[in-house]
Amino acid sequence: MSTVIFMMGEFEAEFPVDVRYADNHMWVRPIEGQANQFQFGFTAYAVRLLQDVYFLDWLLDAPVNLKNGQEIGSIESKKAESSLYAPAEGQLLTFNDELMDDPSAINVDKYGDGWLFTMKTNGSPNFMDAEAYLSYLEEVWVKTQRTIKGQLND
Amino acid sequence: MAKRLSVIVSQAQGKNPAKRKLEEDIVAGLLFESGIDVTIVPNLYDIQADSTSLVALQGVGGNAVLCSWLFERAARWVLDRHGIHGQHGTVLLQAEDDEADEDEADDSDEPADDKDRVIDSRDLPNRKIYCLDLKASNSADEFIAEVKRIYSENQVQVVGLTDVLNAAPLPKVASQQAGDQNENGSAAGQAVVNRIEEKSGRRWYPVIDYSRCTNCMECIDFCLFGVYGVDRIDTILVEQPDNCRKGCPACSRVCPENAIMFPQHKTPAIAGSMDAAASLKIDLSQLFGAPAEGKSAEELAAIERDEQLVMAGRNAVGAKSSAGRSEISTSSKPDELDDLVDELNDLDI
Repeated sequence: MSTVIFMMGEFEAEFPVDVRYADNHMWVRPIEGQANQFQFGFTAYAVRLLQDVYFLDWLLDAPVNLKNGQEIGSIESKKAESSLYAPAEGQLLTFNDELMDDPSAINVDKYGDGWLFTMKTNGSPNFMDAEAYLSYLEEVWVKTQRTIKGQLND
Repeated sequence: MAKRLSVIVSQAQGKNPAKRKLEEDIVAGLLFESGIDVTIVPNLYDIQADSTSLVALQGVGGNAVLCSWLFERAARWVLDRHGIHGQHGTVLLQAEDDEADEDEADDSDEPADDKDRVIDSRDLPNRKIYCLDLKASNSADEFIAEVKRIYSENQVQVVGLTDVLNAAPLPKVASQQAGDQNENGSAAGQAVVNRIEEKSGRRWYPVIDYSRCTNCMECIDFCLFGVYGVDRIDTILVEQPDNCRKGCPACSRVCPENAIMFPQHKTPAIAGSMDAAASLKIDLSQLFGAPAEGKSAEELAAIERDEQLVMAGRNAVGAKSSAGRSEISTSSKPDELDDLVDELNDLDI
């Protein structure tokens, strides 16, 4: 599998080129033979920020219609916590139930068994390819550092 | 004869190893204390009406200590919701941000004014229930010490007859007793451990704090999903908890007394925190797609309700209907920041 790399400080975050990317740091993989159906999971960038994931919770029961950016759940890790938001408009089809008791697959196999949910999107949203995501990361890396450190000296 | 004390441990959801270790360390530490019975159940809030866990909980008699990851107030009223009633036992082990509080912590959780609260009209059984918040410390020893303190406190109390009758040992329930932790457990001395292992899905429903509730009916007017009802004497209750829309805390925002809790909500004030106890963790929401903030509690409640109505295939109603006059303390942001320092030091990115 070929990948591209983004340096988060000393850390090499790897991104496979065979998937696309949403701006909320989820990877997007088309489901074969199903128009506009995708599997989503956290990118190496998100997982690096979170580190060891302890707890994942969804606010909704699948299947359910979502607006782009709608709050859908929350995640807690050793170091951080976050609400989670829909990466696109459409219908959320399934959540990865395996993660509810033990979310560690998010850390162990982020681009595989650590997938989060599947969705049928309305139309085909403009997800980024790996190169575009890399440029996007260049842009947001400053904001990311500021967000983390800003919680120090607000 | 020394009065036994029941300790209930409600496990965290998910698989946080630090949390599980604290739970187990507390149980292990209590094994060698005399006069203590331990019941371990899955997450208290998720327990279903017809479950083994609930049978076990309802079988716990006498004074009891509940150790859970819920805020103290939430824990007490979730128990109440499960039909386990009792007097409020004062817990001395509290989270450590008290020194930052300008006004001293108020021991009683009943609001100090002259409004009639639902609790005033209820007879509570003569037993005390102490709810320990496992978030209050990382040290199992501190919780064990607090349990021992409560145990001693209960030995010197004047005991009513019903108390003695209720202090019967645990009933037999279909559960696995942890063999390795139960050797010699039958004698009067050592702890008896009753461990219930049961899978239950995550639940989502409101929990009413009847020490705050004034029976004003704002919630039943606001909720359009039939969650609320009234009992035979017209007191508000959560009649159909499973009608509640997962993730929606709107009724909590419109409650004028902040009496409605969603123990799993991320906002401490909605989850039952007495103060603005903030999370110690870094909030990444802004990076993961959070919209900009800045809405009032009523606006938020109306938006949340509309989202749920639309999801359920119904029409949005906007802010009409009696979206109340309450203000929930949005709180917590500034204090939260101070506490992040330690976490950040070893984040190394």
